[in-house]
Amino acid sequence: MILRTEGVTQRFGGLTAVNNVSLEVNKGEILGIIGPNGAGKTTFLNCISGFYTPTEGKIFYNDEDITGVPSYELCKKGIARTFQIVRAFPKMTALENVKTAIVYGGADVKNIDIDKKAHDLLDEVGFAVAHDTVAETLNTMQAKRLMLARALATKCQLLLLDEIAAGLTTAELPDFIALVKQIRDSGVTIICIEHVMKFITSTCDRVIVISFGEKIAEGTPEEVLSNPVVIESYLGKED
Amino acid sequence: MKDNKIYETLSKPLSKIGLSPISLAAFAAMALFPLVSPNEYYTKLGLTCMLWGTLAMGFDFSVGYINVANWGYAGLMGLGAYLSALLNKYFGISPWIGILIGGVVVAVLGLLIALLTMKMDAMFAALLAWFVGIVLQNIIAAVPNITRGAMGLNVRSLFATPKTAPYYYTMFVICILTFCVLKLVVNSKFGLSFRALGQDIEAAKAIGISPLKYRTINFVISCFVAGIVGGFYGHYVGVLSPNVLGTKNVVQILVIAYIGGRGSIWGSLLCAFILMPIFEMMNSLAEIKYIIYGALLIVSMIYFPGGLCKIPEKIKSFKAEKNK
Repeated sequence: MILRTEGVTQRFGGLTAVNNVSLEVNKGEILGIIGPNGAGKTTFLNCISGFYTPTEGKIFYNDEDITGVPSYELCKKGIARTFQIVRAFPKMTALENVKTAIVYGGADVKNIDIDKKAHDLLDEVGFAVAHDTVAETLNTMQAKRLMLARALATKCQLLLLDEIAAGLTTAELPDFIALVKQIRDSGVTIICIEHVMKFITSTCDRVIVISFGEKIAEGTPEEVLSNPVVIESYLGKED
Repeated sequence: MKDNKIYETLSKPLSKIGLSPISLAAFAAMALFPLVSPNEYYTKLGLTCMLWGTLAMGFDFSVGYINVANWGYAGLMGLGAYLSALLNKYFGISPWIGILIGGVVVAVLGLLIALLTMKMDAMFAALLAWFVGIVLQNIIAAVPNITRGAMGLNVRSLFATPKTAPYYYTMFVICILTFCVLKLVVNSKFGLSFRALGQDIEAAKAIGISPLKYRTINFVISCFVAGIVGGFYGHYVGVLSPNVLGTKNVVQILVIAYIGGRGSIWGSLLCAFILMPIFEMMNSLAEIKYIIYGALLIVSMIYFPGGLCKIPEKIKSFKAEKNK
């Protein structure tokens, strides 16, 4: 088990965005988190990645209590994330984006050629344009690949993907699914928030459903997607 | 083609000290200027350009990299000036040591501002620095029996001679050292973290960069530059008033740095040599010149948002287009 949360609750004033969510993530699996818009998925991810300190509850990473540890320290411990929107450093080149992550992300940089490592990482994720392209000029597909390369550059063991498949065309999707599986096979555990069901059904080993901040179902993608409670939370109740 | 090769072979060793063949040539020209300057007025003007250019470089080091506009920059500079002047007046401390002490004290004040604000949005650092500058200005004005307040504090000059050349070369050394050190820092790994934090702080946090740590390092270096230049300024002009610390001077520095182009260091210095002579000519306009500053800033931001430092890139892409 690489990650365990116990009753994680996040309140903003009177609003409870995440309510008492407990889950376990096994090493080497891809865990999907799905749920309707505004269900609290990203807030939950922000708690795990150290961007928020949960109001209540505890988070354990490799059996170490990491509740309230800031994101930049979690990154050095091996938790990396991507964001719902593309957040490359816009004025830097793709290569500089990755280099920065190598230098600061907690990888051992003493004996490696940082430039070469950055080029290798970009090739690994199938980044298809010139590596010295300024990040703000990239299209969605390449920017998303860059985001993956930058996250991997931190030598993460646990990778949190926030809607990485959103905005991709159906033609681009199979490539991306293969890429995420390839990252998992290289030994990285993945938690992904996703709305693209094709991505969920073809990558995830297990899926958790969050609705109104609460975990309402858990199981394999097939089990979860045929669960009447889940269908109701997405489509509403039949009168 | 051959020229390119010479340029390349020169670039490598020079980059180890933060210079490039072009910047080296520019500094050589600056070093030779007093020898060809027709009279003291032009030497003084050259010195003024270097002085404000150095301040703008220090300002750009924060605003152009970590995206924190230090609105207290003139206040910090003035603090350095008054500290060195007062240390000399009351304790007989040599101006050379006083300038250094001023730089260190200003850096410590910068450290305090940074520790309080650098976890938060960049706006808070800018505001706190601004308020600190205003408070410093008022404190100095409020204790005339120590600082002589608005009457003006006479400061011992750095050299016994009335000639400008020694001052010019002192400023030249401060200027070139500032340029080289700032360039070396931004070209190092620190530069990557500064730029990352300035461009997207959340994303920087996600890849292991502590905003507090790296923004503080940046801010303190920038403040140190303000303190040193301020100390020299006092001993050069010979008289200080609380106006030195005012926001008007921040605006002047900001205009130079923004039109020079943020995030380049050299753009600020080059821009000072273009704008300061114009500003000097406008001195007779008194307050109206600040309206002109504002207009210049707006025009440059609309039509030339990257500033002067983007010109080489523009030429390059223009040539590339043409070759197609």
